[in-house]
Amino acid sequence: MKRFTLNRRTMLRGVLGGTAVALALPPLEAMLNANGTAYANGDPLPRRFVTWFFGNGVALVNPFDPNNNQLKWTPPDYGPGYSLPTQLAPLSGVKEYCSVISNLEVRAKHPEVRGHHTGVSGFFSGYPYIKLDPMGANYSSKFGGPSIDQVAASFIGDQTFLPSVQLRISKRIVTSEGPTLNYLSHKGPDQPLQPIHNPQEAFQKLFGGFVPPDDPTKPLRLSALDAVAEDVKRLQMRVGSNDRQRLDAHLSSIAQIQKQIESIAPECSAPPQPGETNSDQDGKEPLDSVNKVMSDLLILAFHCDITRVASIQYTGSVGYTVFHMLGQSQGHHDLSHDANANDQVDAATIKTMEAFAYLLQGLRDTPEGDGNLLDNSCLLLGSDAASGLRHSDFNQPCIVAGRGGGALTHPGIHHDAQSANSTDVLLACLKTVAPQASEAGGGNGHSTTPLGAIMA
Amino acid sequence: MRRLSLSHPLLGAALILASIVDGGCYVGVDNDSAGQGFTAGLTQGASAGSSSDSAGSDSAGSDSAGSDSAGDDPPPELAPAPASIRLLLNRHYRNAIRDLLGEGAAAVVNPPLDTPINGFDAIGASQLALSDASVEAYENSARAAAAVAIQDLGRIGALMECQPQGPGDSECHANFIRNFGRLAWRRPLTDDEVGRYVAVAQTAALDNGDFYVGVENAIATLLQSPNFLYMVEIGEADPEDQGRRYLTSHEMATRLSFFLNDTTPPPWLLDGADDGLLDSPGGVRDAARVLLDEPAARVALDNYFAELLRLRSLDTLAKDSGVWPQWSPALAQAMRTETLMLIQDVVWQRDADFLEILDAPYTFANNLIGPLYGLTPPGGGLWGDAFVKTPLPAESKRGGILGQGALLSVLAHISSTSPTLRGKFVRETLLCEAIPAPPPGVNMVIPPEGEALPTMRERLQAHLTDPGCAACHVAMDPIGFGLENFDGLGVFRTMENGAQINTASDLNGAAFDGARELGAVVREQENVPLCIIRNLFRHSTGHVETTGELPTLMLLDDVFAEHDHSLQDLLVELVSSPTFRMVGVPE
Repeated sequence: MKRFTLNRRTMLRGVLGGTAVALALPPLEAMLNANGTAYANGDPLPRRFVTWFFGNGVALVNPFDPNNNQLKWTPPDYGPGYSLPTQLAPLSGVKEYCSVISNLEVRAKHPEVRGHHTGVSGFFSGYPYIKLDPMGANYSSKFGGPSIDQVAASFIGDQTFLPSVQLRISKRIVTSEGPTLNYLSHKGPDQPLQPIHNPQEAFQKLFGGFVPPDDPTKPLRLSALDAVAEDVKRLQMRVGSNDRQRLDAHLSSIAQIQKQIESIAPECSAPPQPGETNSDQDGKEPLDSVNKVMSDLLILAFHCDITRVASIQYTGSVGYTVFHMLGQSQGHHDLSHDANANDQVDAATIKTMEAFAYLLQGLRDTPEGDGNLLDNSCLLLGSDAASGLRHSDFNQPCIVAGRGGGALTHPGIHHDAQSANSTDVLLACLKTVAPQASEAGGGNGHSTTPLGAIMA
Repeated sequence: MRRLSLSHPLLGAALILASIVDGGCYVGVDNDSAGQGFTAGLTQGASAGSSSDSAGSDSAGSDSAGSDSAGDDPPPELAPAPASIRLLLNRHYRNAIRDLLGEGAAAVVNPPLDTPINGFDAIGASQLALSDASVEAYENSARAAAAVAIQDLGRIGALMECQPQGPGDSECHANFIRNFGRLAWRRPLTDDEVGRYVAVAQTAALDNGDFYVGVENAIATLLQSPNFLYMVEIGEADPEDQGRRYLTSHEMATRLSFFLNDTTPPPWLLDGADDGLLDSPGGVRDAARVLLDEPAARVALDNYFAELLRLRSLDTLAKDSGVWPQWSPALAQAMRTETLMLIQDVVWQRDADFLEILDAPYTFANNLIGPLYGLTPPGGGLWGDAFVKTPLPAESKRGGILGQGALLSVLAHISSTSPTLRGKFVRETLLCEAIPAPPPGVNMVIPPEGEALPTMRERLQAHLTDPGCAACHVAMDPIGFGLENFDGLGVFRTMENGAQINTASDLNGAAFDGARELGAVVREQENVPLCIIRNLFRHSTGHVETTGELPTLMLLDDVFAEHDHSLQDLLVELVSSPTFRMVGVPE
């Protein structure tokens, strides 16, 4: 395993795969101004952006009343002093960092509104999904535009070793309805990004990819990729416009890999390789352990400034994750369609919020400058439906967490969006990492109006 | 020579099908133009049918034997989908590395996973772009494979007709690159390409003072090239029709081999392509027959059916252990084996009517499957690990793939059956009929199990009484009701929650009860053989057939019938048909 230079400064404690590890702060602290609020040269501290997804929505207050779409999830009051319902209680330790947004409308809609498809693609990209089912082939769809994390990466991804990273916790994912339900991050309609579900692979991706400066293979790898790029360009001259675009993406990725080969490892100590591989035990997924290890790895990657953008697919859209640790035996999507299983859906929601809270607390507990990583992050949590039972894309669960480097309102609020375009939230989040951004989404989901209520 | 004619019995059915695509089974969705496009294609085809003699002639003589072929000349109405490039599937990549560089090299590669679209990995591979992670995975894999390959100088030496005279022997590098490059890229390299790769090899060899470091880097680089990673299917213009293009002989070798053998074309096929043997339908037929005799053909067909019939999901399928304590990974794999063995028996051992897989009165059972079905070993004694061909009594209502544990388990919920999923599978995968996504805002409350509604059939009545649900569910649920004697693992039962299960049902008006009768009824549906062809076409070309291609596939449907639905014969006829051999102008 390649080792980073150990730079002993402040030692932090983290939990990785159950083992306590020590790591050194990156050297940027030495380059901060006197207040620790920015670099000495005036540049702001790095800002991070995370999309965090769980599938199939949340429980209803009364699943048997078809006219009542009220969610158990919704806080009873509004404003900065809002109360946390049971479903959000896991956030109590970081509540001041969390804004809950109710009554958003997913306006990015294909005219054929499809449960889950509209919810996840519209909410996370702001574009209506693209329908893919010619000639009676089974229905599928793809995102209509880039997911918001990839828009963020297009602004700030070139500042780090990896432009972004995609992580998956549960493996019970539906792959049969196209990229929309399969993946959370999409660089464009034809470029879904496969997430990593194995923490050892995530470790390798984040911390194992650095090539030592004196590695003799370096120039050979670079010139090989140059030759390959030449082949790609020649092939481009023979193909149609769609394929030319695909090959453009191939070229950009070649350039990115070349950049990574040339990158110098940050002065930050690598954690030990985690033991967790996300393998089922007796048919059960190690969800809790994987979530912890993945969260810890991401926190370290942010801390070492290896990447600034991430997406986490905790459970899948139409996913059939079994929350076995709650005594459940059925898949989550099936439960979400069973009014009698409302309590089990509710328990799964609470479990899910514990997983999200673990990441928030870890970020908050990692100092950076005069604050912590959560101060310099924006996390967007969402789902693909308000409740799985009704498949409604109105009032889907939405939390914006972190201070976004001061760009987000603090303490957090519960806000009634009154049917505002959900893309307004995407734009507000995007502006935390790219203040110059002026729009998000496209088509009927397009927004030029960031959600002001959650901005500082 | 057979031509499209309006009298084809399936045209009416296809029109209905196109209208389903168009409007959906519930109202209020958008109006895509598929139906109109199809009608336009039909009109075009009908008018062309009377002037069938004018199309291009094939120069090859060897196709005269194929007197029952589906029209070796492209029908004028054939409008192929635009030419494109298609990424190798994960299994294509692994097998190609194995065949090019050996098992050791194949063991160290880790190409990206496939992303299915419309139910097919191949369709995703023809639409989606690579990501950073994919390019990185290809780089790591190529370098790892090359590092292993270079350890075997015997294999490397067999690819050179020269003895390297020191690290800087560029002639010998060029010789290796021409030979290995042709195998890897499935076509001869141009001089320009050879020059570029010699430069790669020379830099590495001279920097390290080792000729073979140059070879290793040439291998690693050739394997990252788009000319290896993509099937490039651009073709050459049809002199008769500038709107259509024939795949070149080398492109045909590639398409044929990856379809029929899941791997890169073997040297003999590339030799044939060099000689232009795949420019004629007869040459393609001959090559296909040889490829089908390879053991790889059986593995490739297994892989295809594992994909089409979702057998791959058995690897991770979860079942409620409270309901089915007997569920285990070993049982799941046994189910997969059972289904594939039935298909192998029909296709390869017997070369029988392929439709028999729908209602065969026998299966292949072992000590996991036999007891699950309540069968006794055909020869007496005890069940063992080995699978034995076992007759199925008619009263078991079991027969064909729809009565096997694999589909019955995959098309079920984690702790119950799903008549809807079973019916949807029959409609979509066996009949190629469209089932739209559920409409928005439906209230999906399914009543709980209990004394009032003991059976699944009763609980699902809401699907069929609520007009918002019924429009689509009436096409799916009744098919599954007829399979309710088989629980979510495929175990036979007659009672559910203390009540007798009513399994009398019908498909499009034809009554059936149980899996074997359903299979027999499905067999009689006139869409079924064409759907088999359409699925194979989607997989083998990486796209859903267009309205300009469907009429030509219908001609193949006749040929399939004339060959008594021999799948082997169909594969040969499909790959030699103009639809398979032609592409449109790149768009």
